[in-house]
Amino acid sequence: KQWDNDEDVLDAEAVDDTDGLDVEAERAAWKLRELRRVKREREKIEQEEAQIAEIERRKNLTPAERE
Amino acid sequence: RQHLVNTGQTGEVKRATVTEVRERLAWLKRKRVEEKREEVIDLGARIEVAKE
Amino acid sequence: MSSHQADAKALLDDRGYSGQLIRGQNPAHLFEKAVRDRITESYYWKEQCFGLNAATLCDRAVELTHIGGTYGLMGKPTPFLCLAFKMLQLVPEKEVVLEYLNWGGDEEDMEGDQVQVDDDEERARRGEFKYLRALAAFYIRLAWEPVEIHKTLEPLLADFRKLKRRTRDGFTLTFMDQFVDDLLTKDRVCATSLWKMPTRMQLEDLELLDPRISPLGDEVEDLDKEDGDGKSMNG
Repeated sequence: KQWDNDEDVLDAEAVDDTDGLDVEAERAAWKLRELRRVKREREKIEQEEAQIAEIERRKNLTPAERE
Repeated sequence: RQHLVNTGQTGEVKRATVTEVRERLAWLKRKRVEEKREEVIDLGARIEVAKE
Repeated sequence: MSSHQADAKALLDDRGYSGQLIRGQNPAHLFEKAVRDRITESYYWKEQCFGLNAATLCDRAVELTHIGGTYGLMGKPTPFLCLAFKMLQLVPEKEVVLEYLNWGGDEEDMEGDQVQVDDDEERARRGEFKYLRALAAFYIRLAWEPVEIHKTLEPLLADFRKLKRRTRDGFTLTFMDQFVDDLLTKDRVCATSLWKMPTRMQLEDLELLDPRISPLGDEVEDLDKEDGDGKSMNG
């Protein structure tokens, strides 16, 4: 294939994308990634909620307290 | 004329339908399975030759 | 429209473009000008993408060996990026794109010795040709609407097949779920600025989306506990 040169091919072979070599390890690695995603999303929601709570709190302050 | 359209030589290409896409993928899959099988047969033959 | 142009002249004609629009603009403009130029100057584009339609594009897509944007000092476009650009030219019907994404092989034709896989796995593993699936996912993120994007792509977060990704100066390993997560959460993927869509949270607040349920289900809590024992999640 003309658009590939030899160097690239060697380079590409260094990374193996064959699936199913060790299904259990592949699934375990996925679980960890998925868990990170779930946590990240939860943290985002918590942050958002904390922000809203903070805005609410400030709204309810008396002018004196706001100083 | 239709052939020319299909090969893009008129500068126009016929849009493919979803059925054509599905058939194409099935064909590509069969081709791939076939090629793998041939590889195995070829490898088997070479091992036979090496044994002799 | 029953036909389209074999090359990209019409697509690249800024004034005379009369094809389908994506969110009110010429689809080609979803790629940056410099990237478009490099694509249309590339051998792969000229020799392998000319005259493709949605069916013949599959011939090229099933041969893809990696995803990626541009690479090398000259910023050469990957075949993956060129085919994505071709899709922006074709603007295939939704059902065609879904076929790319989820085509699972013609089961009737298969021999009866297949192992039975459970439902989740089966759903995740659909999309026989993984690089074609990745291509469709990339296109969907660029061309579809936010709710559809989430609904269509999130099931792929359970697909843990490996993907080779070409970077500026080499190759790295990633995974389908990782790539899809990047598409849903990052600003830039494969040399392309992803248009800013509302966050999942915002779509949930508008009741356009239900909260996502992880395929891990109850396992999340267990893993959470295990993980909490000293290990940091931010690594």
